[in-house]
Amino acid sequence: MSARIVVTPSRGSPSLLQLAHVMLKVGATGFGMGMVGVLHQEVVTRRAWLAQEEFADGLALANLLPGPIAVDVAVYVGYRLRGWAGATLCLLALLVPAFVIMLALTIAYLRYGQVPQLHGAFKGLNAAVVALVLSVAYRIGKSSLKSAAQVALATVALGAAFLHANLVVLVLACGLVGALLLHPRPKAVAP
Amino acid sequence: MNLLRLALVFAKVGAVVFGGGFVMIPFIQREVVQHYGWLTQQQFVDAIALGQITPGPILISATFIGYKVQGLTGAVVATLAVFLPSFLMTALAARQLSRLRSNPRIAGFLRGVLPAVVAMLVMAAISIARSSLGLDWPLLLLTLIALTLLVRFKVDAVYVVLGAGVVGFLMEHWCRPG
Repeated sequence: MSARIVVTPSRGSPSLLQLAHVMLKVGATGFGMGMVGVLHQEVVTRRAWLAQEEFADGLALANLLPGPIAVDVAVYVGYRLRGWAGATLCLLALLVPAFVIMLALTIAYLRYGQVPQLHGAFKGLNAAVVALVLSVAYRIGKSSLKSAAQVALATVALGAAFLHANLVVLVLACGLVGALLLHPRPKAVAP
Repeated sequence: MNLLRLALVFAKVGAVVFGGGFVMIPFIQREVVQHYGWLTQQQFVDAIALGQITPGPILISATFIGYKVQGLTGAVVATLAVFLPSFLMTALAARQLSRLRSNPRIAGFLRGVLPAVVAMLVMAAISIARSSLGLDWPLLLLTLIALTLLVRFKVDAVYVVLGAGVVGFLMEHWCRPG
């Protein structure tokens, strides 16, 4: 067998209960894309259940598939850690806090016809969302943009995204460049 | 039957619209406001606003719309339907990905994708900042402080989110009285 890149899987798979606990936390504190940040902090930074690259693969996948990004990443994490049971549990646990709160707000709205005015708090929450998303970009960028080619590719990709390039096309194009230029050479001697 | 239609509308949007929750909003609007008339335009706008002040996915507005159409059952059906297609696709793709990972070309592909992921995140942050923070420097300062707490001091995201909400609330009340 030639030596291939071995992806060191998680340091010990979490139990379904641990997974549910984390997802409830993510669902209760992450707002929109902010969930990606909370999820990354819990799963990669704090618990090391997934490596940076594995988490980034989930983000790439979420961009290539239809549907909401943050939920897709949570489902990916669940599947990677505990298969179908993990994926299902992650989806449900992620949705429960939002569902309950939204249901209460809906019933109140249909009765009183008013949306609570929380402009200030809402702006503050969005500042946290921006910070959370940037923190994931920083951590993944720092740990996984190792070669000059990858840094150059990130710069070009950001420029293209600025110019409203389609993100699906962008991810595929960068992947193609990677498949052609960045693939690991088989090593002669295994360490 | 309304319940079935509700499920189909949300599953369809969930299955074919790329680019995340925000991109899906106009598609849902076209179906539930223009096509079926389940909600008025104002109710739809309010449903999205409520979805944004609720933690979790933006698309939790589906709960509102489902409830309006068919009560609690409608709420459950719409919420599950909008997330179900991408749930299935993501889990199936994750399964394939773990099998294909040892292929050097796929490994190269994933290495190439990493820079795109970083660029995508930065771009997402910029567009959220643009649409909801504007060029309000106290808010940008708040963002910078939150980022420092997260990256440098590894503060639990829960405290950062709560803290930012409270600071934003206080800022509005102290800076713009009345």
